[in-house]
Amino acid sequence: MSTKGTSDAKDAENGASKGPSDAKRAESPHGTNALPEHVLEEIRELPARYPQHRSAVMPALDLAQEEVGYLTPEAMSEVAAALDLDPGYVEGVATFYTLFHLQPIGRHRFYVCTNLSCSLRGSSEIVEHVKKAIGVREAGEVSKDGLFSYEEVECLGACEYAPMMRLDHEYYYDLTPETITALVVERRAPLSAAAKASRRRTPVAAPDKAPPKKRVPRTKKIG
Amino acid sequence: MVVKTLSPMAVQARADILEFELVNHPLDCPVCDKGGECPLQDFTFRHGYPTSRIDGPRLHFKKPIPLSENIALDRERCVLCYRCTRYYDEVAWEQELTVGQRGVQSFITSQFDQPLQSIFSGNIIDLCPVGALTSRVWRFESRPWDMTHTESICSKCAVGCNVNLWQRRGQLVRVTSRENDDIDEGWICDRGRFDYTDVNDPSRLRTPRINGAKATWADALATVSTGIKGKGAKLGISLPKDITNEEAFLFKRLLDGPLRGARVKMHGRTALPAPIAATLRIKDLDAARVIVIVASDTESDVPIVNLRIKKAASKRGARLIVIHPDGVDLDRDPNTIHIRNAPGSAAAEVRKLASHRLLKSAGGPIAILYGDGLGSEEMADLAKSCRDLADAVGGNVMPLYRATNERGAIEAGVAGWDPLDGIEALLSWGPPPTAGIPTSVKFMAAWDHLPRPENEKADVLLPATTFAQRQGSYTNLEGTVQFLRPPIEVVPPLKESWEVLVELGAALGLTLDYAGIFAIQRDAAAAIPALAALAQPPSPEPAPEPVLIGPAHP
Repeated sequence: MSTKGTSDAKDAENGASKGPSDAKRAESPHGTNALPEHVLEEIRELPARYPQHRSAVMPALDLAQEEVGYLTPEAMSEVAAALDLDPGYVEGVATFYTLFHLQPIGRHRFYVCTNLSCSLRGSSEIVEHVKKAIGVREAGEVSKDGLFSYEEVECLGACEYAPMMRLDHEYYYDLTPETITALVVERRAPLSAAAKASRRRTPVAAPDKAPPKKRVPRTKKIG
Repeated sequence: MVVKTLSPMAVQARADILEFELVNHPLDCPVCDKGGECPLQDFTFRHGYPTSRIDGPRLHFKKPIPLSENIALDRERCVLCYRCTRYYDEVAWEQELTVGQRGVQSFITSQFDQPLQSIFSGNIIDLCPVGALTSRVWRFESRPWDMTHTESICSKCAVGCNVNLWQRRGQLVRVTSRENDDIDEGWICDRGRFDYTDVNDPSRLRTPRINGAKATWADALATVSTGIKGKGAKLGISLPKDITNEEAFLFKRLLDGPLRGARVKMHGRTALPAPIAATLRIKDLDAARVIVIVASDTESDVPIVNLRIKKAASKRGARLIVIHPDGVDLDRDPNTIHIRNAPGSAAAEVRKLASHRLLKSAGGPIAILYGDGLGSEEMADLAKSCRDLADAVGGNVMPLYRATNERGAIEAGVAGWDPLDGIEALLSWGPPPTAGIPTSVKFMAAWDHLPRPENEKADVLLPATTFAQRQGSYTNLEGTVQFLRPPIEVVPPLKESWEVLVELGAALGLTLDYAGIFAIQRDAAAAIPALAALAQPPSPEPAPEPVLIGPAHP
């Protein structure tokens, strides 16, 4: 963005200011420094991947949420500033999607599927058990220790293993109340570094039935 | 193709859609400010079912929510048509009004619930098809059917937007836009819409006063004439920015006669010289391929012209070249070429543009708009460089005057910008001089509609009418003469301004033989070519309201 007086009109065109440049707009309504510089740097590199630079708002919000835990107005303002967008636009996108959180949430999130297949296989009992196990009354509420919160979500695309859920970034299949209890207990206990590392990779399965390693296509291939 | 809008099927379809629209809409028409001019109400009246089949609970929101100092939002009434957010995005180029959440839970919200900042925010009140966005200034003041309105002209800047002025019991209660596609396209800015409460100020001046004591007009004007007569260059006169053409014409007669040599300073005058040849019309901006904006922040100088520029850029594909030291809101177009000049060097930058490739191969009309950079530019030079550039690349210029009737006052020959230092007598017409009252002043006459601290020093205080009472006309920045239609009567002891000028002329020994505004307009039209339109004022009757025609219930 050119801020100095330019003598040549062509130069000025090359350095033409893009997006918001007037003081009113550049000024965020909130303070700065919600996001560290390395995250902002990563966000600034995003628009190059898309035909329209505002498309970068979704991955940028994702990065901000990973960093802060949930999207504060400050974080959204900084995302907007980094992408040359209006904070209002960024806020509109953030409120549209349920996986962007505008309120504090637990460190571990249960996303329990309550769509048709899971419902038929008893997901409502799973939800009730999750609530009891982490000690909350409703979706979005954070447990007292700040570790857990849960949400009911629509189909996550693993109907053959219903009832299922997503815990943080992992899928858990064929759920039973015991699985839930085990997962909660495991996350409440202080973990060794080795356990922490292994937890990421190995999903916990129902005790009687190990999850198949590979999904078997159940329909005939067409064509 | 034949489109049937009144066939039973079409009527039934509208009724069915309306049933959905009314699922969550509250039935509070009796206390809603929109009641009486609400399209949803009109459609429901014509098509709606007498009873609702919906017996579930309606959506509830906290209400009303103040969106800004002037606008209230009622989310329960909102039918989510997205006109307001679309207007904000496409017309005003702002993003501070957005939609929060999604689907059935969507609602209109401002950015982080901060108050709206845009100078164009008020238009969403007119746009809203229901009572979701209402004016807080007019909230619960009156109903549309117990006001009368006149079709007048906004008095706040030189664009000359057409407005409706609404009065009730002698009070100006509302200002709304009036569509004129040649000038405003139905938009007005917040200054024009909300800045009128001074008209209804209970402390308005109504009686002439000499040294604080009530006096008759004859005595007051005699004292004024003694104080200002024969002072020559020792007399300073401050003119209001919204002086009408008729007042300017009469005042010029005084300046040429008994007040010869007086120094005149007009409020808000830009120091732009008189236009040399025909200038560009506002509507011509639509067809422009390249628009050059020099030394003006159009958003604050000429707001509605700013919207025209945005329209030309975003809807018609025009390219913008801005020469301004600071960032302006037109930079939001990523294709805008912004040349940041050092203040005072705009003319030099304009000369360099002649060889710019955009202007050499514009592929259509070129518009060159120039302001005065808030006094930082050498105006004669800048005006000449813009005219030269227009001649060289085949475009036309539009000087962006700022004071309401600056162009009319220039044509009438009264738009001075003389310094008022060292004067002995001061006639302060309208608000007091912006630079303050010079200490050398021994006699001061103030002609104003409000009591102000500066006016307390005046030897003679004359009450003035406001834009809602004044007859006459303004010449806007493109040279169009438009007529004011005052909705509020001038009740004695207030006097029409032309009458005061005629009587002041008589007190100074100059006979101005006018018995009404029409005679003045005829004479002004004959004397000043630019005011020729004054000879044929249009009918003062407002155009009839459009009536929604349609069959009753399906």
